[in-house]
Amino acid sequence: MARLWKNFANGLWNENPTFRIMIGLCPVLAVTTSAKNGVGMGLATTFVLICSSALISLLRKVIPDKVRIPAYIVVIATFVTIVDLFMNAYLPDLHQVLGLFIPLIVVNCIVLGRAEAFASKNSLISSILDGLGMGLGFTWALTVLGAVRELLGSGSLFGYRLAADGATTIGIMSLPPGAFITLGILMAFMNMIAARQKKRATKEVRP
Amino acid sequence: MNLFLLFLSALLVNNFVLVRFLGICPFMGVSKDVDSAFGMGVATTFVMVVAAAVTWLIETFILQPFGLPFLQTMAFILVIAALVQLVEMFLHKTSPALYKAMGIFLPLITTNCAILGLAIMAVQNSYNFIESVVFALAAGLGFTLALVLMAGIREELRFADVPEPLLGAPIAFICAGLLSLAFSGFAGLI
Amino acid sequence: MVVVLSVIAMVSAAVLSLVYGKASVIIEENAARALESSVLEVLPGTSTVNIIRRSPDELGVDDPKEMREKEQRTTLIYQGVDDQGQIVGYAFVGEGNGYGGAVRVLVGVDENTDQILNVKILNHAETPGLGSRIEEEGFRSQFAGKTVQDPIAINQDIDIISGATISSRAVADAVRSGLQDAVAVYRGGE
Repeated sequence: MARLWKNFANGLWNENPTFRIMIGLCPVLAVTTSAKNGVGMGLATTFVLICSSALISLLRKVIPDKVRIPAYIVVIATFVTIVDLFMNAYLPDLHQVLGLFIPLIVVNCIVLGRAEAFASKNSLISSILDGLGMGLGFTWALTVLGAVRELLGSGSLFGYRLAADGATTIGIMSLPPGAFITLGILMAFMNMIAARQKKRATKEVRP
Repeated sequence: MNLFLLFLSALLVNNFVLVRFLGICPFMGVSKDVDSAFGMGVATTFVMVVAAAVTWLIETFILQPFGLPFLQTMAFILVIAALVQLVEMFLHKTSPALYKAMGIFLPLITTNCAILGLAIMAVQNSYNFIESVVFALAAGLGFTLALVLMAGIREELRFADVPEPLLGAPIAFICAGLLSLAFSGFAGLI
Repeated sequence: MVVVLSVIAMVSAAVLSLVYGKASVIIEENAARALESSVLEVLPGTSTVNIIRRSPDELGVDDPKEMREKEQRTTLIYQGVDDQGQIVGYAFVGEGNGYGGAVRVLVGVDENTDQILNVKILNHAETPGLGSRIEEEGFRSQFAGKTVQDPIAINQDIDIISGATISSRAVADAVRSGLQDAVAVYRGGE
């Protein structure tokens, strides 16, 4: 049971794909102009992660090693197309905003990476939990980044205007330079927290 | 559309890495020194140009006439994967040293979102064949430019006194932000 | 080896074409509904929207693909009528080639003066922060009051957005050519 929890929680913090492993970064910078977009992208990617990890885990004994990468790509591309069509039909506004980055989920290193590194070698339940954990870890990273950029760049959060009417916003936050700088600062922050955790852990070990 | 304007736009004003956020993973991963950055840029540009040509042909002669828009993502990424495989085999035979130097990053060109991104953009914008190829070339050169600039900065950063939490990725991203800020100055060019 | 891959590919193609079949219907419905609500925006005071085609009798075809093609060739005019039964004006969709693909605009024209009332950007894939600024009020309001007599061209009577020449030109082209067609259809025959 503890092992299953670890499968899931891994992606949330210890091996957070955005802040710790640093893969799948393109959408992190591109769609985080607002918190809502971050959540939308994160959940769409999570769906693809769970489904493709599950299917690849189910088929892991059947897919020959030589064609595994093309096979994974076909599976992942299928789910990405399904998400794309679904969002176009039922969430057209979000689909319009996320635009190009929805089909780009297929080359998101997180999805292919977890398929190769985990789902192809582990059981169905573990793979699903891993996909869920990684996906949610990715989602919260996107949401935090989106929230910071939205708050500073447009004075709102999830669409609700928070800043006073005449307040100046830091417009650059909504633009590319702001994305890079915000991510850099957030990563530094995460490093500080991780370093403090490690110091506390080593202090407890020493008698 | 004016080819020169298209080229300049994709190269500088709407630079793929610094403005469009495509190709960030290799941008961060392979920009530690100028030589490997340049090599990666050239390899990627080559794949981009060929991929743009092939995907355009597939879209025009297979996907559209047969009414299969939903197979676009899959067809395009499979083409790119196959192309990268070919480039790998070619390099392995002709220049084993370069092949070895690039290591794991060569197959990773497949997951470079800039390539798939530009293939999709070219068909979405209804570019014709020449325009798609020019677009791809400009995108690749812009990618190379951004990578080389970043590598140059990071080489210098090695000797700078960076506070510990910022070491590595954080300071690199902040520098990328400043680079992006500089590139936004090209906005008035066209 | 190849068998497994082919089976996976065929299953996925089948699944996708099923999903696409279902989804595309909803997608088209959404588009139609969105367009109608946009008409209400560009023709203020409208409560009913009538759709006028250039040659309605040409559309008496059964094959949906042929019908769609014919629809694309006919000019679609949306006529806005207020709740007193007075015609507010007419609206049309114009299309121009933007940087990121087609830029579609909805233009509302006054019934009595044939002057443009409003321009709304329907779809665009222009670069966020640069080309996407064509959505701004300041840019769009330049078109208000123009008629078929005006040039409606960038650097003549329309100012471009700095850094977004292609996007600005796309909108101007869309408005100008669309207006010419629309006035010809609305005032000419029918």
